[in-house]
Amino acid sequence: MADIDFDGVTKVYGDGPPAVDRLSLHIDDGEFMVLVGPSGCGKTTALRMLAGLEEISSGTLRIGGAVVNNTLPKDRDVAMVFQNYALYPHMSVAQNMGFALKIRGESKREIARKVEDAARILRLTEYLERRPKALSGGQRQRVAMGRAIVRSPQAFLMDEPLSNLDAKLRVEMRSEIARIQRLLSVATVYVTHDQVEAMTMGDRVAVLRDGQLQQVATPQDIYDRPANEFVAGFMGSPPMNLVPCQLRPGRSRVEVVVADQSIELPLGYADTHSLPEAGADVVLGVRPEDVLIADATGANVLKVRVERVEALGSEALVHLAWGEGGASSSRDARSRSFIAKVGPRVTFAPGDVVSVQVSPEHIHFFDAGTGISLRAGGR
Amino acid sequence: MVLIAVIMLYPFWVMIGTSLKSEAQFLSGGGFSWLSWKNLTATIPVGQEVLSSTIVCTASILIILAVGLPAGFAFAKLRFRASTVVFLVIVSAMMVPLQAILMPEFVNVTKLGLTGGYLGAIVVYAALGTPFSVFLFATYFRGVPDELIEAGIVDGLGYFGALWRLVVPIAIPAIATVTVLQFIQIWDDLLVGLLFIQNTSERPITVGLAVLAAGRTTSIPELMAGSLVSALPAMVVYLVFQRYLVKGLTMGIDR
Repeated sequence: MADIDFDGVTKVYGDGPPAVDRLSLHIDDGEFMVLVGPSGCGKTTALRMLAGLEEISSGTLRIGGAVVNNTLPKDRDVAMVFQNYALYPHMSVAQNMGFALKIRGESKREIARKVEDAARILRLTEYLERRPKALSGGQRQRVAMGRAIVRSPQAFLMDEPLSNLDAKLRVEMRSEIARIQRLLSVATVYVTHDQVEAMTMGDRVAVLRDGQLQQVATPQDIYDRPANEFVAGFMGSPPMNLVPCQLRPGRSRVEVVVADQSIELPLGYADTHSLPEAGADVVLGVRPEDVLIADATGANVLKVRVERVEALGSEALVHLAWGEGGASSSRDARSRSFIAKVGPRVTFAPGDVVSVQVSPEHIHFFDAGTGISLRAGGR
Repeated sequence: MVLIAVIMLYPFWVMIGTSLKSEAQFLSGGGFSWLSWKNLTATIPVGQEVLSSTIVCTASILIILAVGLPAGFAFAKLRFRASTVVFLVIVSAMMVPLQAILMPEFVNVTKLGLTGGYLGAIVVYAALGTPFSVFLFATYFRGVPDELIEAGIVDGLGYFGALWRLVVPIAIPAIATVTVLQFIQIWDDLLVGLLFIQNTSERPITVGLAVLAAGRTTSIPELMAGSLVSALPAMVVYLVFQRYLVKGLTMGIDR
């Protein structure tokens, strides 16, 4: 077992922009690190460089303190679980699981023992003689896990291993993988574009975009204190509402002007949140669950129009719009609309004008130009 | 289907029927006799010639597979400079007719001292069959998921190991297709055997049949008996591999 260290690792294909751009990331021994981001963000490329399946253009990659930039995949002692499982179709489950050990030259008895141990952990004992095509998706996924486990590698690398499963099975396997990882306590790098997987499985989450690391933190930290507008918008479902607005000096405090309405910030707020000078353009962010729809009047109450209500059973998503009239563009429409997550029993209908309240402590501010969080202390 | 089956099987029926007649019975149209089979074995060394054909076929196909499998794998799965151009050059060799290169080949093989025995013919057949096998294997291997090979490499295999231990076992339909098509082509070929195998003791069955037909008079029943002997191995090879053949020939259609 070992720790993993990306030190300024870059991958460039041909003359194109970097697929991974100066990635610096340390993964502790036994840690479950999730790499998350949209398609093309470089997360799989980073994982493949770690596996030795892609060459590194520049930077240093270490596993257990040893530089592995030019080390062959077979000599890195890492095990990988692929998105489509990549099981060997002509081999039985037991042969699939024991294949790496066979190549390594371990005795048949030792291979059988390790395969049986792994099969017990993964509840695969009764399927050991079957071929992969005779297994369900979930069982195949577990065989792929088993193939990784029997090797007792220095690290597990998983490339979207749950994306081919149906929703119910995915939930089951999510906790199964997390359980096994904690049981074995092996450093794990898990690539996904699914933020629920990222939030529920990882000890820490690294968010990537266009090959660049945006933020590394615990899932809750990422959710509560996103480093920038991208992370705020990417993590969370529905995503954080992001609305362009302006700061202006109020009667005694700073006010945020959203469309033609304003929210007054408490005294000292500007100091603790590194807000720019009054008059500056910023982006206001608020999580849908922090938007309260109430009949309140007075300070910090905004009048908005209900556009659409999505009832999800346990909760409802209310799509709201600022101001009057139609938007001139879709971008304009986005900036004028936001979502509130409320209880399932809503009493209002599309077209109603309602009051919403946002508590200042739940408001995030981002620089309108760079998108970086304006929270004091930065990342 | 019945009509097509009748059209396909009728020549065999005629061949079998004619071979079981004497010359006189063939001309009169009735009767049964093993005479033509006795005469055939007395006129040409059938057993030796079938063995020669088998040796030439087997050796050529082994070379074709030994070259075609790794080459097809490399073109399908490895990234290297100018691979597309090289692949096109190799595949374009399939378009060159045998007759166009036969004389230069003969000169080259003679200079190498390989005419006479099996070796010259084996080299020529292997050279002629390899481009097709490279094309077919490359096409087949492109359908094999990259992850399968990468899983093998992470598990500790090299590229050759991944080819032999992971890819070849699932490429049986493609291997069967190459084997059957090349076997039929080589087994039935007369020209290369006639030119490149000059030792009469090593000549293949097709050359033997040509000798049979080249006399002042030709016994049709004898010729039919020889043709039957010549046709049977190709049929056996086809029947053994036919369940893979359809899959091999239609690969890529359902992907």
